[in-house]
Amino acid sequence: MTDKPTALIIDDEVQIRRLLHIVLEGDGYRVLESESGEQGLSDIALRRPDVVLLDLGLPKVDGLTVLRRLREWSRVPVLVLTVRAGAEEKVAALDAGADDYVTKPFDSPELLARLRAIQRRASLGKDEPYFQAGPLAVDFNSHTVTVNGQEVMLTATEYALLRVLAQHAGKVVTHRQLLREVWGPNAENQSQYLRVYMNHLRKKIEVPDAKERLLKTEPGIGYRLILPAQK
Amino acid sequence: MPINEFVLAGIFVTLVTGVSFLIEPFTGYLSIALLYLLLVVAVGLKLNRGPVLTVAAASALLWNVLFIPPRFTIYIEKFDDVMMFVMFFVVALAMGHLTSRLRRSQVAEQRRERRTAALYELAHQAAFATDLDTGLRAAVSLIQSLFGAQAALLLRQKDHTLSNVTHPASSLTLSEKEKSVAAWAFGRRMPAGKFTDTLPDSEALHLPLQARTAVMGVLAIRPSAGKSFDLTERELLEAFAALIGTILEKDHFIEAFKHAEIIETSERLHRALFDSVSHELKTPLAAVQAGIDALSKQIGAEGERQATLREVQAAVQRLHRVINNLLNMTRIEAGVIQPKLDWCDVAELVQSAVDLAGEGIAERRIVIEVDRELPMVRLDQALIEQCLCNLLLNAASWSRPGTNITVRAALEGGQLVLAVLDEGPGLNESDLRRIFEKFYRASDARPGGTGLGLAIVDGFVRAHGGTAAAANRQTGGAEFTLEIPVETMRADVMEELT
Repeated sequence: MTDKPTALIIDDEVQIRRLLHIVLEGDGYRVLESESGEQGLSDIALRRPDVVLLDLGLPKVDGLTVLRRLREWSRVPVLVLTVRAGAEEKVAALDAGADDYVTKPFDSPELLARLRAIQRRASLGKDEPYFQAGPLAVDFNSHTVTVNGQEVMLTATEYALLRVLAQHAGKVVTHRQLLREVWGPNAENQSQYLRVYMNHLRKKIEVPDAKERLLKTEPGIGYRLILPAQK
Repeated sequence: MPINEFVLAGIFVTLVTGVSFLIEPFTGYLSIALLYLLLVVAVGLKLNRGPVLTVAAASALLWNVLFIPPRFTIYIEKFDDVMMFVMFFVVALAMGHLTSRLRRSQVAEQRRERRTAALYELAHQAAFATDLDTGLRAAVSLIQSLFGAQAALLLRQKDHTLSNVTHPASSLTLSEKEKSVAAWAFGRRMPAGKFTDTLPDSEALHLPLQARTAVMGVLAIRPSAGKSFDLTERELLEAFAALIGTILEKDHFIEAFKHAEIIETSERLHRALFDSVSHELKTPLAAVQAGIDALSKQIGAEGERQATLREVQAAVQRLHRVINNLLNMTRIEAGVIQPKLDWCDVAELVQSAVDLAGEGIAERRIVIEVDRELPMVRLDQALIEQCLCNLLLNAASWSRPGTNITVRAALEGGQLVLAVLDEGPGLNESDLRRIFEKFYRASDARPGGTGLGLAIVDGFVRAHGGTAAAANRQTGGAEFTLEIPVETMRADVMEELT
């Protein structure tokens, strides 16, 4: 590759930085390291990485603060790393502008897949006319959805949901984000409807008994449309 | 007592009549009338209306018979004496009536004042006491001094039932029978016992301590022998009961507030500690995992070293599970688990749990028996997923590769019933009850495992208000069942959106 993407790791643990360095380099990234939030922010400003891996548990300036400051002036894709299994911190990070998260200890192929998904999302315009993931194909121009070549009839709301998820394929989309994009800015509390429509959508586009599921619920956080390469 | 007052009135009339006999020779019979009038007024200031009017009538008659000439007859000789007698009669009655009315309102005033003073006293001593016990003691001793009665307090307990033990401030011990009267008063929020229509042959009057939001207990009052409470006293006692109730309620609210504060602090502390421990445990684990992934890529397809790496990988995964189990158990023990309820599709929940179990159940056939038409239910999907996953891993560790593990989900009477069935050897009877205990390991358990997986299942299910149970299947193998009370999405909401 002539044009290697640059990844910046912001983590205070030197071991994690070194090993991530190896994993990322192995996947074709040029890797930069920052050991604190402040340094990370200035590194992003000066060296313009294509993607940022940000640990939320940084000493002094914590990851969430770094993220909020960063989002005041940059739209660089950010994958947050956290040791907490619970949903609150992740939702807070996603609301603050993170693109996705992985929980430590993480599986490297999964981490790389998420990195690819958020970069793809960042480089992609919304005008992409066609989307394909495993058996599912969506034609945004004609609003047609097919599963294994068979056309599936979706209601307008179901289609709108699928479109948002497909535009963010591989990447988690929070409940709030879905509600805002499908129902509008005043619908953020209508989560009951979201659950029901997602349920309907899942029943329509997922092949029963298939090993690979298309729509994954991230409990307490949101949904993820899984790309086939991503496991 | 009115009877005694009549006797008293008789004595006064006799006395005045005797004195009149002594002074009549010097003053003449007309002055005697004034003496009698004086008596009527004096009696009116002290006695009730009945005796006073009797004194007035008796005075008029006695004056006439004993002093107006001709003496010792009813007959009155002179016309002006007749006038005098009639006027005396009228004036005496009127005076008696007026003075007794004056006295009555004075008595009422005094009662009101006593009542206000008593309530003030109670409020002052009990409500502003530094601690509740001192306050209640003050209330009981106030009742003793004001009403000459013994009192006992039965307070509401934390579970909102009435305590069976009298509060230490009580000056009266209650028999079981009296306690049951108190329980009635507490349950019905109505006075009961002596002087009421309910169980009037009790020893004591039982008043509910009615506060603004709830009945805080019962006040039992036993009057000294032979005494009863008049209406005013009864009203005052009821006001006392209400005031004590309010004081208890205030105390209850303060306690609840303090308790909430303590919980919040301990939660914060726990959270900080928990976060730091999880960070310290998981960071090196993450480094090892990343190292394995990097090595695996560097080695490429080389068989022997890849096999070694797979062993390391399996060990890391096991360590990861143990750490997660320990951390989850800590959260359960600390009582900080609060399920975040959200609508969830049961079929998906089961599938996610199977995915979560991953390699751990790889060599078993997983049979999923879930009705796809189940309505959505409200629960904490992450917690219940973990429960099912632990049950699946447990089933896998007890059964041979190639056997079936069945997962069932159904709604039964407002409960989500999740069951995991295996085809292993089943459980010993002695293990059935203890299997969900922390660190308990079945007598013939395979090596490995921490004895925490099922305890976590139990803890998470309990946090939902549900139960976990283990049983042996009739066809062999073990069956673990979770019963979780859930809200289900109304069919019309589901329909409406279809």
